[in-house]
Amino acid sequence: MATSDPSVKTTPAVDETGADSSRILQTRGLRKEFGGLTATDDVDFAIEAGELRCLIGPNGAGKSTFLNLLTGQLDPTAGEIYYNGADITGLPSHERVGRGISMKFQVPSVYEGLTVAQNLRIPLQQVVEPDAFDARTREILERFDLLEQWGTVAGELSHGQQQRLEIGMAMAMEPKLMLLDEPVAGLSIEETADIAELLREIADDDGVALIVIEHDIDFVETIADRVTVLDGGSIFREGPIEEIKADPEVKRIYLGEDH
Amino acid sequence: MAGAGLLNFGFEFVEIFAFIVLATVGLAVIFGMMGIINLAHGEFILVGAYATTFAFAASVPLPLAMLTGVVLTAVYGLVLERLIIRHLYGRLLDSMVVTWGISLVMIQLTRIVFGNTAPGIGIPFGQLPIVDGPVYYLVLAVVAVGVLGGLYALFMWTDFGIRARATMQDEATARSMGVDTDRMYMSTFAVGSGLAGLAGALYAPVMTITPEYGTGFLIEAFVAVVVGGASVLVGTVLASGLLGTVNATVTNVAGTFMGQVAMLIAAIVAIRLMPDGITGLLADWRESRGESQ
Amino acid sequence: MSVESGDGPFAALRRPFEGPNTMGNSPAFWLGLAVAVAVLAAMPVLFGLYAAEVGAVFLAYALLGMSLAFIWGYCGILSFGQVAFFGVAGYAFGIVAINAATLTGLTVALLAAIAVSTVFAAALGYFMFYGGVRDVYVTILTLVVALVLYTFMGQTAGGEWTIGDARLGGFNGMSGVPDLAVGVGSTGVEIGLLGHYYVTLGALVATYLGLRALVNSQFGYAMVATREDEDRTAMFGYDTTFIKLVVFTIGGAVAGLGGVLFTTQNNYVDPSVFGITAAALPVVWASVGGRTSLLGTVGAALAIQFVDYRLALSGSEWALVLIGSLLVFVVLLMPEGVAPRLHEYVLEYREDADPSPVPREPPAATEEVSD
Repeated sequence: MATSDPSVKTTPAVDETGADSSRILQTRGLRKEFGGLTATDDVDFAIEAGELRCLIGPNGAGKSTFLNLLTGQLDPTAGEIYYNGADITGLPSHERVGRGISMKFQVPSVYEGLTVAQNLRIPLQQVVEPDAFDARTREILERFDLLEQWGTVAGELSHGQQQRLEIGMAMAMEPKLMLLDEPVAGLSIEETADIAELLREIADDDGVALIVIEHDIDFVETIADRVTVLDGGSIFREGPIEEIKADPEVKRIYLGEDH
Repeated sequence: MAGAGLLNFGFEFVEIFAFIVLATVGLAVIFGMMGIINLAHGEFILVGAYATTFAFAASVPLPLAMLTGVVLTAVYGLVLERLIIRHLYGRLLDSMVVTWGISLVMIQLTRIVFGNTAPGIGIPFGQLPIVDGPVYYLVLAVVAVGVLGGLYALFMWTDFGIRARATMQDEATARSMGVDTDRMYMSTFAVGSGLAGLAGALYAPVMTITPEYGTGFLIEAFVAVVVGGASVLVGTVLASGLLGTVNATVTNVAGTFMGQVAMLIAAIVAIRLMPDGITGLLADWRESRGESQ
Repeated sequence: MSVESGDGPFAALRRPFEGPNTMGNSPAFWLGLAVAVAVLAAMPVLFGLYAAEVGAVFLAYALLGMSLAFIWGYCGILSFGQVAFFGVAGYAFGIVAINAATLTGLTVALLAAIAVSTVFAAALGYFMFYGGVRDVYVTILTLVVALVLYTFMGQTAGGEWTIGDARLGGFNGMSGVPDLAVGVGSTGVEIGLLGHYYVTLGALVATYLGLRALVNSQFGYAMVATREDEDRTAMFGYDTTFIKLVVFTIGGAVAGLGGVLFTTQNNYVDPSVFGITAAALPVVWASVGGRTSLLGTVGAALAIQFVDYRLALSGSEWALVLIGSLLVFVVLLMPEGVAPRLHEYVLEYREDADPSPVPREPPAATEEVSD
């Protein structure tokens, strides 16, 4: 079942179209229409390894659609997605995951009926040999401060613990790119600080590229290397957080529609 | 004679269409509203048939006997809902398993109490001219259309219907707007049961009444509900129309059994093309139109 | 996984069959199982050939029940039509066996019958799962398939429904199905009454162990994850549609094996195997015994069918009423079934006895520095 397919489609055409190999992920003219509505409008997006990028924008800006296109839960109407230099457009979700794209959902979605260790086993067995399960489980649980909860049924964990477990499960896949949809929604201030620190570590120490959808602008300020602002399905601004915060146009679209 | 052939086909279609609509509509009301597939649907039909046939045997006039069947089944459904079904809301699969248990008990109890046969009712109104079949089938078709019209009126125009649709769309919101959803489920279950009873009553003169009488309705009812999807009226009408056409066409050419098989294949193909049923397809279509405007 | 399976005797032997996905991972459990199998094996010795004749039918039913517990309890696929595969295999065996009642022919018949039910399940599963059919719709479609087979087999009374020498026989059923036999040419064994009982018992035990090893394997974890949350599992790189197809197909094969053993025991099969009552039975066994316990379902199948048989023998008509009521009450009062409830009691009892229960704790750190 482990789907690390060696026959990666590296067509020369990729380089001709300008896919840059230093970029872990790149989209070109990515477009998604639902009926007559354009949810994602010709997006050219790129992120480098180890970069932590926040995706912001008013409701309906197309943030979740964009993420779903990257995971393969949605198929684009037009455009391509390059991952590690290879065209992955049209690959099913499970094959993208096999290549190192990991996703954390908005609502903590751990397997509530299984124990913490069993939860971790699901992603782990995709990437490591059976005799390493216990060691890796211990390692990950230690890192995410859940060792005490080894045999606890995940449904009984606190909200913050579930968020950590879910990020731990995503990390168990040893991803190169991680997509997170509002990872701190509904968390307390301390829990939010915890997650912020974890995400920074994942980007800096593990060299994982992260794309984080986030509403909380303070949180964005704490963690982001760069920020991409989406509006009406297309990229409106992109740059360091200070620049974005100072941009009156960004303020306008936020104030005009969301707040 | 092509004209008579066409007429025969038309009659066949009307007969099958009416059967599917009447067999399905009670099940569809409960499924559409509550998401529960009532595995005891066949036995609710059975209650309607037995009540009708025994009332008729006690020299109650046929229309009144049938009404007795409908009312008794509705009451019966209401009692079951209060005793058992209501404990299973939110437990979809469990509710299906439990209704199946109820079905087993009812079939066997019927056999123990009434034996393997029940008094018959002759088919009223005599035979049609030209086409080969009883007038009564046309009456059934009229009733089927009447039931659909009645349901349309009930859901669109009455206070009950508005509340019912609100509950169907979003239970939490409906409750927050003061709809007593518990009561809605209760009444819906009774209405669905009553409609099942109606099917049993109407077909009591046509089919031999045995403890397995209800099973004869299940294939059509389940297939139509699955093909129709969650929208009670639109789903039932379109699914009955589609399945009725397929069934009537194939039956005309290759016999009753092949008609049923063709219907099943049509259902599987239909589900292959539209996993959420016809209703789901319509919803997508509406959504895309709505967004482009 | 060494977390739940303690050491104790035969730890290495037990390992493939143990893990958190199954109940009963202790030496005491395996001892109990061995005793139960020994008791079943002693039945014909204690009660004579008659017990073997009746018991083999119950054991074949237990295989049918296990096929449902496997797909429903471990992968969340609720099929109301497992009898379709059971019955199709029975008919397929009969058709081949009646036409080729030699050692070789009967061996082919056995394999062909299981192959037919397996392919049938794979085809149906393919259409459903790759067609995006889910949940309730799967449940109803499988039931409809069984009911259509019932109607189909019921109308095969005419002489045109004769395949070679095998008459399908409509509601009268297909009679004269030969006993089971295995061999090639003139070397092999014909399996008589007593032999059939032990073959069925052996098949049941082997299937149980096989399925147990499977649900504790990596694939088993993927099944359980698919049951718990299909979308989430796909995001971990699992092809959940394929997993469901494989599980459903294996379920069809196990039900088919049961169907062959059932038909060869009775030397007869009729459309009632596809009927609504027959279709309900596996659901009753799995619900009552506990769908997440293969053994619980087997136990429930044996117990319920035994009671059913005794009641029928005494001329009572109340068996189905009893079975139906049992189903209603168990689902209302004990939704997870008997075996999981028992398992909880055992765990609680052990926790009382031993303040540091094994499953709740991480394994000692020393255990994993080996590599």
